Amino acid sequence: MQIEFKVNDRTAVVKEISREGSLVTISVDSKIYVVDVDKVSGEEYSILSEGKSYNIEVISTDDPKTYRVNTIYFGFDVSVNDAESRYNQKRKNKASDGTTDTIRSPMPGKVVKVLVKKGDHVEKGQTLVILAAMKMESEYKAGCSGLVSKVAVKEGDTVEGNQLMVVIGKDVSK
Amino acid sequence: MMGKTNSPVAIKKILIANRGEIAVRIMRSCREMGIETVAVYSDADRSSLHVRYASEAYHIGPSASSESYLRMDKILEVAKLSGSDAIHPGYGFLSENSMFARKCKEAGIIFIGPSAESIEAMGDKISARKRMIAAGVPVVPGTTEKIEDEGKAIKTIMGIGLPVMIKASAGGGGKGMRLVRKEEDIMPAIRGAKSEASAAFGDDSLYIEKYIESPHHIEFQVLADRYGDAVHLFERECSVQRRHQKVIEETPSPIMTPAVRERMGACAVAATKAANYEGAGTIEFIVDDQLNFYFLEMNTRLQVEHPITERVVGVDLVREQIRIAEGHPLPFTQRQLKMNGHSMECRIYAEDTDQNFMPNPGKITHITEPMGLGVRCDGYIHEGYTIPIYYDPMISKLIIWGRTRAEVIERMRRALFEYKISGVKTSIKYLLKIMETPDFRNGTYNTHFIEKNEEFLNSKVKCDRHCEDIALIATFFEHASRVKHTKRVAPHERTVAVKGWKHRGRRTGMQRL
Repeated sequence: MQIEFKVNDRTAVVKEISREGSLVTISVDSKIYVVDVDKVSGEEYSILSEGKSYNIEVISTDDPKTYRVNTIYFGFDVSVNDAESRYNQKRKNKASDGTTDTIRSPMPGKVVKVLVKKGDHVEKGQTLVILAAMKMESEYKAGCSGLVSKVAVKEGDTVEGNQLMVVIGKDVSK
Repeated sequence: MMGKTNSPVAIKKILIANRGEIAVRIMRSCREMGIETVAVYSDADRSSLHVRYASEAYHIGPSASSESYLRMDKILEVAKLSGSDAIHPGYGFLSENSMFARKCKEAGIIFIGPSAESIEAMGDKISARKRMIAAGVPVVPGTTEKIEDEGKAIKTIMGIGLPVMIKASAGGGGKGMRLVRKEEDIMPAIRGAKSEASAAFGDDSLYIEKYIESPHHIEFQVLADRYGDAVHLFERECSVQRRHQKVIEETPSPIMTPAVRERMGACAVAATKAANYEGAGTIEFIVDDQLNFYFLEMNTRLQVEHPITERVVGVDLVREQIRIAEGHPLPFTQRQLKMNGHSMECRIYAEDTDQNFMPNPGKITHITEPMGLGVRCDGYIHEGYTIPIYYDPMISKLIIWGRTRAEVIERMRRALFEYKISGVKTSIKYLLKIMETPDFRNGTYNTHFIEKNEEFLNSKVKCDRHCEDIALIATFFEHASRVKHTKRVAPHERTVAVKGWKHRGRRTGMQRL
């Protein structure tokens, strides 16, 4: 069996070559490993490779194709790169073609300041809105340069999570 | 009130007017003392640990603090209903609200903290400074009167000497605050500060303090009983701050000397007595590199970072608060209090340190807590818990003790590596970087530490390829076994819609390699 994964900025193909009891010969791209694998609990794996011991947590997320993977020193987001996810990624890339950006609030809060209005030209990275939530103030910036086509909030407004705040470029917020 | 002990009362039931980790921490001491506990909770906190840990629990309102944890009327109602003898306010919320302290007293309920008058006396910065000067406690050179007139302000500033800090006398939190270094900036700064103060507090009066370069923020823990006796429990170094929020605290302070400690301690005790204080409190000082120290303010409550003092001095501060409120005299003299070893606390927040420390609320899918010698984890969350968006995003406090500072730093690193929280982003990796920053390791840091080391703190360490490969191998086995399991499920079962966690539970129950 083989699976292609995406982690950080790398894709890698992992392929099981052979198995003898708990000893598995497995390749990650062109590198071959012989490892002793033991599933310790619902999320923990113990992997012994050339005498070295690794304790890896493989944690499910809401997306059945993405896992949060922890080693003792690092944490990764690993996702399965199969046909379906490749298609979804292509669609996502098409939508954010660099000329439109829809800024939504990530959580409920209060609008502290709105720094732009409809028709303003903004640069990528420019702060558009300041929200206060969870006792802190956060700045929301433009993901691309362009003209502000819609400002849906004003100072003092209370917003829900995922509420539309600002649109740059073509308004595809519906 | 001198000498003679009035008969102390025995408190039998305490209502904890708070939530999260501090509510649980307070309840732990209550349990040890055989005192019943009453929790209050908002909509968002129904399944929170403090509710489940308490002996009794009552709902007090919708999730927003203003409609629940800040509702004095509802809390007092629950206190009466449950027959609580006392209320412990924790920190934040109503802990420094003199009106609440007064209402408790009027209702015949013991407020575990100082009197309303003490809270008010130390809450007003200008009156607090006056009191300290009268008590012989050094204060930051500055004004003792409110400044309303611009012309007077300039004269005062030139008298104090630049650079100065202009502050709002009615409040803090960075509002109405301006740093002035040059004479030509004085007028615009005063105008700016006045308008900000007016907007934030409805009061535009200012006061002016000398700005201490390279400041250290060092505070002293104090305890005072109702018989006029007070002690200090040594210092806490809190200079690792980001935007005036403490990130790491430690004790003893790496720059302190025994002689300065004794002088500062004596000042802290004098300040406490000058405030007619009763209970646990903290005197905050600002200290320069030459170890000249100045009173900054007094916090009339238990603080977030109190556990590091507990570790090093061996005293349960909540227990002492309760005993003092019951009317017992202090059970130790200053001479009996000693420091043993070194302790440090890291505050773990649900925030994205790569995105300007934006709060990152969400569901905790997995926790592995660090353990072992010298590790204390004061938290309240569990797997499956969703961090509410209504309150601050603190997850827990990691408190480490060791015999030396070097040992504590290595133990903190080890514990931070062990501490795994999935589902939300946390400040753990940022804290690890602090542990690796030379300025911090050498103990040569002040309140500019984070600013000064920003580049290093934000730099990423890449995992090596080998380690990444091993992680992929584990993921491969996990995913492969799930795919196999799904294929084994009978066709008719596949059409049943099953909730996420239940589905996962079934699968993990059947894992085989």
